[in-house]
Amino acid sequence: MMLALLIFPALMMFAVSFFKNKKAKFLLPVTSFVILLPMVKLFMLPKPYALWGSYLVADRLDTYVLLVSSIVGIGVTLALLTLEKHVRVSGNAYRRFYRFFAVFWIGLIVSILANHMGVYWIGLELATLSTVYMIKTNHTSAAHKEAWNYMIVGAIAISLVLFGIILMYASAKPVLGEDAMQFDLLLAHAKEIPSPFLFEMGFAIATVGMFVKMGFFPMNLWLANIERASFYPVAALFSGILESAVIIGFFRFSKIAMEVNYSHLFVFVFVYTLLTIFIVSFLIFRAKDFMRLFSLSGVEHMALIALFWVSGGTFAALLHFGAHAFLKPALFLSTGVLESNGKYRIAGALRGYVGKRGTMFWFLVSLFLLAIISLPPSPMFFSELYGFGAMITVAKESDHMLAMIGAILFLLILLSVIFYRFVAVYQSMKYEGKEEEKHVYTSEIFALLLFALALMALLLPQTFSYLRGIA
Amino acid sequence: MIDFLIGLFLASLIVALFTSRLYRLLFWYSLNSLTLGLLALFIGEELDDKAMLITGIATIVIKAAGIPYLLKYLSQKFHLVRQIQPEIKVQYAIILIPAILVFTFYLSEPITHMIRSGSNDIAVSISSLFLSLLLMMEHKNVAPKIIGFLCMENALFLLGITATDGMPMLVELGIFFDLLMAIVVINLLLHKEEANQ
Repeated sequence: MMLALLIFPALMMFAVSFFKNKKAKFLLPVTSFVILLPMVKLFMLPKPYALWGSYLVADRLDTYVLLVSSIVGIGVTLALLTLEKHVRVSGNAYRRFYRFFAVFWIGLIVSILANHMGVYWIGLELATLSTVYMIKTNHTSAAHKEAWNYMIVGAIAISLVLFGIILMYASAKPVLGEDAMQFDLLLAHAKEIPSPFLFEMGFAIATVGMFVKMGFFPMNLWLANIERASFYPVAALFSGILESAVIIGFFRFSKIAMEVNYSHLFVFVFVYTLLTIFIVSFLIFRAKDFMRLFSLSGVEHMALIALFWVSGGTFAALLHFGAHAFLKPALFLSTGVLESNGKYRIAGALRGYVGKRGTMFWFLVSLFLLAIISLPPSPMFFSELYGFGAMITVAKESDHMLAMIGAILFLLILLSVIFYRFVAVYQSMKYEGKEEEKHVYTSEIFALLLFALALMALLLPQTFSYLRGIA
Repeated sequence: MIDFLIGLFLASLIVALFTSRLYRLLFWYSLNSLTLGLLALFIGEELDDKAMLITGIATIVIKAAGIPYLLKYLSQKFHLVRQIQPEIKVQYAIILIPAILVFTFYLSEPITHMIRSGSNDIAVSISSLFLSLLLMMEHKNVAPKIIGFLCMENALFLLGITATDGMPMLVELGIFFDLLMAIVVINLLLHKEEANQ
């Protein structure tokens, strides 16, 4: 019953997307709002809650990720109401966007709630394929090229994930039989896996596939180019929702890998994420437009989340994840206004706003920009504090304290490069360039306010205790 | 018989790498899928696994017949370029392909010790994965890239059959469903491809 309630709004959205009536445009965001209701209900239910046998099981982690994603979905659909005011989009493309958005939701619900490696993969593949068309709603050659690019590279990444899943399944099948696909059973019997090397190899391959999907080394510019070529709400969906589905898979796989051999997992993820942040920090320094800047910053944050998670900083990783999921879509959606009339200029982008809506817009965007570089009281400030604390704790338990301090210092240098670039961008946006009038629409302000409120909710003591409960 | 089919699976993929005509490539993909379907049927019968038998039949119907037919129809509908010259010259491909095969047999050696079933089968499926990637890389046109992606899916399917004695039925059906979804998306993407030509 609960599963039907979760999927029903997406089916409703799919059906409404076929209506050619102009008023249907306003009905589509309503269906997105409806998604939140069963999510909240699921959030309140005692955990673990079996939605479909042992295949889909809601626990504290996935309901948190799903709730965050549904809030992001509402924000995106609010901004979609005024998409045609900022860019050229046909009514047909708009409806098709929603059609695939509905399929995307179903894939997302399945992958996030999955307690089964195979079902997780099916959901992720469905969500990935449905986003291909969303990129193509922008009728430009660049978007068309990037849609193919996404289809092919995304298919390779997702195939790597399946390859890894098969190896992990093969490693545990002698102990668990066909149940070796279930995350909870794998976690409980991780120490009994007869060939840990095979499991670790499968984990490494699946992780590389997931990291490629999130734009980690060596595919750092892949996602940024796609997000640049597509409409801004697509970029918001990628960073706020699709990446959530990918990272939850990483959370689940790595939990099991921690039981199999923690030091192997830690070194692998630590080196990979550090390398990614090293490259991304310099790419951010050179970024010359908002979309690439925000996209690369998203890669940096996902790398930090993965790093905090494997360091045992579950609370820090989840807080950082929530903050990233709200901040990045908010910034991507604001680019619709910042890059008014297709102008990619950074200088003066925060000037020329009049009236209450205009003032509120630049104020909120300024806050988001400063929050993304972890200035207090941003949730990212606290998550990074706790995350680095977790890294020190891990080092204390090993014999590599000095190496870890060196690595943290190196990481702080890289983060300060990013910090410097964002401050310079903000100053250029506010104090340089020509002042040109830009229009801000009410639905966009509502979307940004929703994200601001959600960010504040992350700082509530109740949220902190909930996230600590997941750990 | 299983060894013969696995050899045929690999051979059809190697020949596909040298093909310069689209319809011929579709034929090799179809043969690749047919051998995979037959493999699933033989292994399923050997293990008395009904789920694998269903999967084998579905593979033959969907992948060996349905998808190649649909792709041929789409290529005619959208007037796709049928002359698909690989970017890697034949003389280099002749060296590269055996190198990949030797490398993967060497690479998969530690894995094969840990899996009870035939060790060569796993090495062939991993090398097929690399060869499918090569098929995607060596062409600039979209159609061979799609077939490369489908061959890669076949290679993973073979790995699933050989390394794990078959994946759960639900997962196999889910993969088929996703494959059909991929074809729908490819169809939509080709609409623009037609406009660009």
